[in-house]
Amino acid sequence: MKKVLVYVEDGYAQESLSLLEAVRQLYPDQHVETYALLINSDASAIDGVCDVLLTLEDGTLQPFDQKGLCDVFTSVHTRYSFDAILFLATPMGRCIAPSVSMRLETGLVADVTAIANDDGQISLIRPAYSGKIMAGIRIKGEGPVMMSIRIGVFTYQGTDTVQSTNIGLEGLDYRHGNIKVMGTKEKKIPYDIRESDVLISGGAGCSDMESLQDLADLLGGHVSASRAVVDKGIVPRAIQVGQSGKTVSPSLYIALGIHGALQHVEGLKDIPHIISVNTNKDAPICSISDIVVEGDALPFVAKLIRRIKEGQQR
Amino acid sequence: MRIVCVVKFVPDVDNFTYNYETHTIEREHSPMLINPDDARALGFALTMKKREPQTCIEVVTMAPRSVIPQLEDILRLGFDSATLISDQLFAGSDTYVTSKLLSSVIRKIPYDCILSGTHAIDGDTSHVPSQIAQSLDLDHLNFIHHIEEERFTCSSAVVEVEGESSYTTFEIALPALLSLTRESAYRLPYVRYKNLNLDVSERLHILTNEQLGFDPAEVGLSGSRTQVVSTHTKEHMTRRKKVVKSDDEGIEVIYTFLKSNGFI
Ligand SMILES: Cc1cc2nc3c(=O)[nH]c(=O)nc-3n(C[C@H](O)[C@H](O)[C@H](O)COP(=O)(O)OP(=O)(O)OC[C@H]3O[C@@H](n4cnc5c(N)ncnc54)[C@H](O)[C@@H]3O)c2cc1C
Ligand SMILES: Nc1ncnc2c1ncn2[C@@H]1O[C@H](COP(=O)(O)O)[C@@H](O)[C@H]1O
Repeated sequence: MKKVLVYVEDGYAQESLSLLEAVRQLYPDQHVETYALLINSDASAIDGVCDVLLTLEDGTLQPFDQKGLCDVFTSVHTRYSFDAILFLATPMGRCIAPSVSMRLETGLVADVTAIANDDGQISLIRPAYSGKIMAGIRIKGEGPVMMSIRIGVFTYQGTDTVQSTNIGLEGLDYRHGNIKVMGTKEKKIPYDIRESDVLISGGAGCSDMESLQDLADLLGGHVSASRAVVDKGIVPRAIQVGQSGKTVSPSLYIALGIHGALQHVEGLKDIPHIISVNTNKDAPICSISDIVVEGDALPFVAKLIRRIKEGQQR
Repeated sequence: MRIVCVVKFVPDVDNFTYNYETHTIEREHSPMLINPDDARALGFALTMKKREPQTCIEVVTMAPRSVIPQLEDILRLGFDSATLISDQLFAGSDTYVTSKLLSSVIRKIPYDCILSGTHAIDGDTSHVPSQIAQSLDLDHLNFIHHIEEERFTCSSAVVEVEGESSYTTFEIALPALLSLTRESAYRLPYVRYKNLNLDVSERLHILTNEQLGFDPAEVGLSGSRTQVVSTHTKEHMTRRKKVVKSDDEGIEVIYTFLKSNGFI
């Protein structure tokens, strides 16, 4: 039997379900006991899904207190001895996972996009640096196997419910770090590309991102971008699609001047319709498109807008 | 005040060689740049030194020796000293080993604050800063896009951290490790003309395993806790694609497609 811990961060209970799909792929043919660690976090979304809910209520433990949270994880692991520990790659997950792996002296793989288990040989798959190939990574030594997974990359398909056992964590040994929250302010995010039904996405071959807005408006969608455009500071990182951006599943994705590097394509999940516009009809994005428009992106956008407006007037 | 900046040199991601035999990036043959987040950390440190000239900034990096010219240029900008950790034995180290090596060196330097970047553009793991903080038992904050200059003292700092949907201001006691993002406004200046050929060799220290004394089994590929075991191209669900031109006929094809699928 395998014992696995998933961290269910406050505010991400629903998203954390995807970690359980990763657990299923990690140990496909074994009995797995799943533990959820809830630190000042609401459990309802995973009640009946994980076997054991480990809860810690301590209002003095601040979010992002890496030192305190790392102590908590280490103490919990010492108590239960897990075979694997999984984190969502949220800002907080990304801080805690590495410190826990360092403390436990085990390997950690970031942004896993697929998992293979061949007769107990686990390899955690993520895009390699070049953007052309995927790499399978093995964790050496005693473990536990640790990984972080971006939101939306695995889809939870389980339907069975279990009788979750609730355990309040008592007598854990942990410190508090020397950090204090002074205040928070909400970010002004106009939209979340993960929720858009239509995305008009611009890449390095699209020299004017602003002109995409009209097309997005006409199709009831939003504008997104490749990292090439985000890195130039033209659009905010919040609308980046891909491995280091967001994983999106709209019904329609229009890729304008996007090459289709693996790290970008990793962010496209279960998209029924893809249209790409590219001066190079052999760019990788084109092979996953329903229709490829061979040509310059911006004039295409202008023409399509004109055609849609004409259609509306008739 | 004493500041340590941990800086990574990264391949220009669009131009580098990947060795498919050993599954490593061939840094020796790739042009290297200062990782963008780290350049912000360096920029902030320099800003603080301008305000308070007694500030002493030491730059620490682990990289091949080919980065020496870039390190010399960093020193020509007014940083006090630089340590390059470099040894063939360290090649292929994963983030665990890299953090262990960096920590072993930083541990011996007096500091009030360590600055780093949040992500590196090559691996994009952002593991190393948290791991160094853990090794040195320091408090740590990632995703910092602003540090209040007036309240940056030897004993504490006030910083703003960018989360997914909010910004949070923290007060953090120093010594601690602060990791900046490229969204922060601090910039590195260019080397002044008169300093272009300044001799900085006395301020550049190179450490090999002779000085660090690790068992070769603990470092490099063999000491790593992760190992790339396979590389493969991804099988994408290729679609039966139709190629059109961006002319009237092509636009009509797209228009009809959008219409028949209910998008307009
Ligand atoms: C660790 C790591 C993580 C990464 N994460 C991401 C990520 O999350 N998201 C992401 O997008 N990338 C990511 N990347 C970068 C990725 O590898 C590519 O570099 C990037 O996606 C390229 O963006 P692009 O396709 O817009 O630009 P380019 O590669 O420059 O491609 C431009 C495309 O536009 C076409 N074109 C040029 N001019 C025109 C024109 N006038 N009209 C139409 N087409 C034209 C070209 O033929 C080409 O296909 C990551 C890289 C690394 C190393
Ligand atoms: N080899 C290295 N030398 C110095 N600093 C590093 C090194 N690797 C990572 N770092 C630091 O850790 C940050 C995150 O890098 P990474 O964990 O590789 O994404 C960088 O911005 C650097 O500040």
